[in-house]
Amino acid sequence: MLFLYFFLTVLCIIPHGASQKGSVSCGLASTWLESVVLSINIVKEGFHRELVFEIRHDHAPCDVQVLLVQGLPSGVYIDQYQLASLREDTGLQVLLDSAVDVEDPAYASSGFSAMVYLSSPGLLQAVVPFHGRYHRPSTSGGWEQVPISSPRLLLRPEHCKTVTPTPPHKVVEAPCTVHNESLCSWLEIEGLQVLGFVSLEFPVGDFTLAAPVCAGTALVTMLCCAFLLRTIWKHGTF
Amino acid sequence: MARATHTVLWKLLNVRVLYTVAFVLRIVLVGFGVYQDKTMVVKYTDIDYHVFTDASRFVTKGESPYKRSTYRYTPLVAWMLSPNLYLTPHFGKLLFVTCDVVCGALLHCLLTLRGSSSEAACYFSALWLLNPLPIGVSTRGNAEAVLSLLVLSTLLCLELKRPLIAAFLYGLSIHMKIYPVTYGLAIALSIASQGPSGGRWMFQRLFNKDLLQFAFVSGTVFFGLTLAFYFMYGWDFLHETYLYHLTRRDIRHNFSPYFYMLYLMAESEWSIVLGLVAFLPQAALLFLTSLAFHTDLPLCCFLNTAIFVSFNKVCTSQYFLWYLCLLPLVLPRLSLTVKRGVALLLLWFTGQGLWLAPAYYLEFEGRNTFLYIWFAGLLFLIINSIVMVQIVSHYIPVTVQQKKTE
Repeated sequence: MLFLYFFLTVLCIIPHGASQKGSVSCGLASTWLESVVLSINIVKEGFHRELVFEIRHDHAPCDVQVLLVQGLPSGVYIDQYQLASLREDTGLQVLLDSAVDVEDPAYASSGFSAMVYLSSPGLLQAVVPFHGRYHRPSTSGGWEQVPISSPRLLLRPEHCKTVTPTPPHKVVEAPCTVHNESLCSWLEIEGLQVLGFVSLEFPVGDFTLAAPVCAGTALVTMLCCAFLLRTIWKHGTF
Repeated sequence: MARATHTVLWKLLNVRVLYTVAFVLRIVLVGFGVYQDKTMVVKYTDIDYHVFTDASRFVTKGESPYKRSTYRYTPLVAWMLSPNLYLTPHFGKLLFVTCDVVCGALLHCLLTLRGSSSEAACYFSALWLLNPLPIGVSTRGNAEAVLSLLVLSTLLCLELKRPLIAAFLYGLSIHMKIYPVTYGLAIALSIASQGPSGGRWMFQRLFNKDLLQFAFVSGTVFFGLTLAFYFMYGWDFLHETYLYHLTRRDIRHNFSPYFYMLYLMAESEWSIVLGLVAFLPQAALLFLTSLAFHTDLPLCCFLNTAIFVSFNKVCTSQYFLWYLCLLPLVLPRLSLTVKRGVALLLLWFTGQGLWLAPAYYLEFEGRNTFLYIWFAGLLFLIINSIVMVQIVSHYIPVTVQQKKTE
């Protein structure tokens, strides 16, 4: 068993070039990479949802850093302050690639990416809360579909500054940690097995009702206003 | 028997006991909040409290509090809560609950000044001190109690004929939140009507010394603070603290009767026109109420706030506190029967419940309940109007009460 572990470790970290501390370059075994499966799920209903990522794989030959880069459309947002509080409470590590406004409607916003950091050993699972934005009213009311694309999966053996490409996977640059202090090379997994199809829908207003809604609102507010004005006029001292 | 129960009740509601109970109750809840925040997924502390603390962190580092997104308050709040960082993170909550209890004491003072017996004043201030709504709001770390304190102390100083202190507090309250500006005309008319009657018309009397003094002091406080913070934090301060609230086009669901209309028309060219039209009933009602009831400022401020909140383009449940703190001052003068009073209260809660149900289904279940929320918003406005009409028509003005006792 010990021998097997040693073998796998050698398989996992194959040093290239100088063996100086901090400039270690390593690769990940392609057989192990093939065992990696990502499942995505969305839990909760309504405007406040959670994305649940789970990565399953064969026994990892070494400690691996995992980075999920999840592109999100303008129809949803993530609150960075909620993330900060979750980081303290649950250790969730998510970095957003841009400042996200938490109040704008979908049509006044743009998409962004969330970088979710996970590290083995341990359960490679993350629960990321996100929220739906208000959408433009449609001519039929109902719901607006918001598709969520599959995330990119980036891997990096722990303690390796650079990573050697393992074809067909390519090496890309991304922040090393959630603190976004430096860039590291990561191995981006091509042809990832993703379980779970993810699409959302959010209720939208019915634009065909605009005229009756405006008329109804105006009528009720005017009546209430008149009712109050009459009473105040009658009982006030002028 | 009844008398004995009454005496026991009175002993229970002795002013000091009442304040102590109110304070201890709040402290216990603050403690519970700390426990819940640490152990449960659903947090007790309001998100705004974290916003305040984050903003405090910025101001103590010499940076702008508006670096914290959604911070829409005066920098004073961020400064006030800087002990959150140095002393204890719960300092702000302790400050808010203290303000809350002091509000109860101010209500007691105002009530006795307005002719209530100490016993009655106790009962009515208990409606604030033991009310779960203000208790919940302040222990969760919302700053509304600070404003209630400023508004009530302005009224108390006016009642005690201390116009300069009142003017200072009034200027400060408008600086903290914009809504007390709706009391401006009523306060002006009230000061003017107490002075020498110079002209034939009410508006001619507006130019007397007391009033000009009041306007000068409150104006200096308001503009002084505004200018100072503008120079410190620039355009962000003006935008986040005032302009955002004035031009707010928050289309997400809220209690306002205008919500669905403004959401549907958000991108239409009529959007601005509709926003202005929606302002008209509010303005007309505020103007007439100020003219009609300026001789009784607590009633006038209560009605103005209730009108402002009910007819506003955005309305959330914390806005209800703005008039709830003035309600105990109005209640002793109502000739409503207890039965009718309870019926009105139930009606108001029903109105809220009918709104909350479809709002929950929309927000947490993803059902399309926009139309129901719109209906419920309109119904809530109707209910609010009915309650206000009942209050106005069953209110015994102070002059009638004085005549009765003479």
